[in-house]
Amino acid sequence: MGSRVLVLLRGSTLGLGQYGNCPGRSRSAFSQVLNLKRGRGFSASASASLPPPDVARLAETARISLAPNEVEEFEPKIRQVIEWFGQLQSVDLESVEPAIRADNEGENLRDDLPETFENREALLSAVPSFEAPYIKVPKVLNKE
Amino acid sequence: MLSTLQNPRLSLLHHHHHRFPLKGHRHLHITPSARASHPLPQPTATQSPPSTSPPPSSTILSIRHSLLSRRQTAVQLAESYLARIQQTEPHIRSFLHISNSVIKEAEELDRKIERNEELGPLAGVFVGVKDNICTANMPSTGGSKVLEGYRPPFDATAVRRVKECGGIIVGKTNLDEFGMGSTTEGSAFQVTANPWDVSRVPGGSSGGSAAAVSAGQCVVSLGSDTGGSVRQPASFCGVVGIKPTYGRVSRYGLMAYASSLDAIGCFGSSVVDTGILLHAISGHDQLDATTSKREVPDFTSQCTSASFFESKPLKGLRVGVIRETLDDGVDGAIKSSIYEAAAHLEELGCNVTEVSLPSFSLGLPAYYILALSESSSNLSRYDGIRYGNQIGADELNSLYGDSRAKGFGSEVKLRILMGTYALSAGYYDAYYKRAQQVRTLIQRSFKDALDKNDILISPAAPSTAYSIGEKKNDPLAMYAGDIMTVNVNLAGLPALVLPCGVVEGGSNGLPVGLQIIGAAFDEAKLLKVGHIFEQTLQGHRFVPPLMADVALKGS
Repeated sequence: MGSRVLVLLRGSTLGLGQYGNCPGRSRSAFSQVLNLKRGRGFSASASASLPPPDVARLAETARISLAPNEVEEFEPKIRQVIEWFGQLQSVDLESVEPAIRADNEGENLRDDLPETFENREALLSAVPSFEAPYIKVPKVLNKE
Repeated sequence: MLSTLQNPRLSLLHHHHHRFPLKGHRHLHITPSARASHPLPQPTATQSPPSTSPPPSSTILSIRHSLLSRRQTAVQLAESYLARIQQTEPHIRSFLHISNSVIKEAEELDRKIERNEELGPLAGVFVGVKDNICTANMPSTGGSKVLEGYRPPFDATAVRRVKECGGIIVGKTNLDEFGMGSTTEGSAFQVTANPWDVSRVPGGSSGGSAAAVSAGQCVVSLGSDTGGSVRQPASFCGVVGIKPTYGRVSRYGLMAYASSLDAIGCFGSSVVDTGILLHAISGHDQLDATTSKREVPDFTSQCTSASFFESKPLKGLRVGVIRETLDDGVDGAIKSSIYEAAAHLEELGCNVTEVSLPSFSLGLPAYYILALSESSSNLSRYDGIRYGNQIGADELNSLYGDSRAKGFGSEVKLRILMGTYALSAGYYDAYYKRAQQVRTLIQRSFKDALDKNDILISPAAPSTAYSIGEKKNDPLAMYAGDIMTVNVNLAGLPALVLPCGVVEGGSNGLPVGLQIIGAAFDEAKLLKVGHIFEQTLQGHRFVPPLMADVALKGS
């Protein structure tokens, strides 16, 4: 059952009609999804060419102060998902245009004219630290 | 009760079929039933013997009729819904906030009725709104501590339109934080229970909105769907849910998760109700450049009374069953329900064939790369400076870091970090760009399939509702459950989910939803097919046990 779910989650350029027989419970095994540590038939070779995620550094880039135990807890989960992302490496995407969104329509621009928001008072009252006309922030330290 | 209620096939409007343009009075054929004219549900066991009469087709229209004929006042209706909320909330906890102006708004409506003023299409309709959709007079938290207590200075366009149509917003519903999750357990505040079995999840991320409609706490509700967050909870809770075409409904005021995938969607207890709400909120909005200028047709004009159906009302409709959604990874009981639904469609005259969508299974990793990347960018605005909760610090970066660390839950942090990775310099080509290319492939394969078929069908989820706590610690296991829904978001297509069966599980059976996918902007066809399917489905009344158990006070 696990290998069947693996194929579903993994995708395949071989086309999707090539599953072997899969005995076992018909009950969904999505809850038993891949245990990548067991490396069940999963090709991680493509993603191995990119360095693994440095969670502490990512947290700094994303401006989230993670506690050390969080870094430890998140690291395997992040690694697992990113390895799973790696399966797209093996897909043949030669000359396929990237799609930014579902392009159901063409350009939809308005005139480049400023419009005043009508409820500025409510907007400003939401600011945690406000001393008219400034939004107050603490000092900025230059790093590196 | 009217004598006509004893014979539900008798159309109240005596075969007249008035149709008025877009907003304004709308009369559709309605088949009233004891349930439809009376917001308090009748105790109906889920395993009731097969019924030959069609289920109530529209609570919205029944309410309208009730108000216009003066059989009930808006205040009476409001009191019964508020009482229902009070009775059921301790068990399901759908709401993060309940409006304190419901009675006042109902009184205003009663005065309008007395003065014989024209009523909007949502007059007297009690609407739940997912808490990631901004409402100016109620808190909008996004299910997150970072926005706990936050009141936006504006209404989302969808909310404004609901109010303009006469809808009464009854409260804000629970969700997975910022829409990130498939169980609603990711809320920073509470866990919502599935009305069909309170030890199970309602699905997510719009679990509160789905549960609220399922439990009769409101008539219809708004949710959002980025990767299935309206359709999967609709399936888990046995209600109707629709995700419109990308660009059909304005996203202004919807807290952005993944801007190229997000859509506001609707829940109702019937297809017609869901369609009426969708119509009210649809249309171009200057404040959202991704909305379509295309005209919004009357979505439910083809949803006529079941008593007027021909013997093969869907004759000639080409239905494609997506082969990849019915293979071994899916619960046997789900597959059976979908095959039965396909057989039902055949009985209605459809040509049902199997269709294959190549690249189907690539959609899931592509979706998550795109969604996580876009979310890492969209959630960077929660910095504690201009709004939201702030953890003070001596230095700006620490202020950002601490505010966000304290304000965001684990799943949100995980997703931001993974998105940050995928967008980091050097990785764009490997992940984000490739995912965009896969999106192109998926769009093409849907287009091919929808050239050969009018609609496509599949399950809405690979299983019925999970137990609370079951998916907590394994992100991939949870993501896997989205396989039925994400491709539709990648392609930007509309999809309707409606209950098609009840299978074994839970305390008294668990509902299964059928997903119907259409071509871009073809919501009217989806609603027509869904309505006919619903009205001719034998043997099921999708009423959760909670409705029967909770003691009701008379109205």
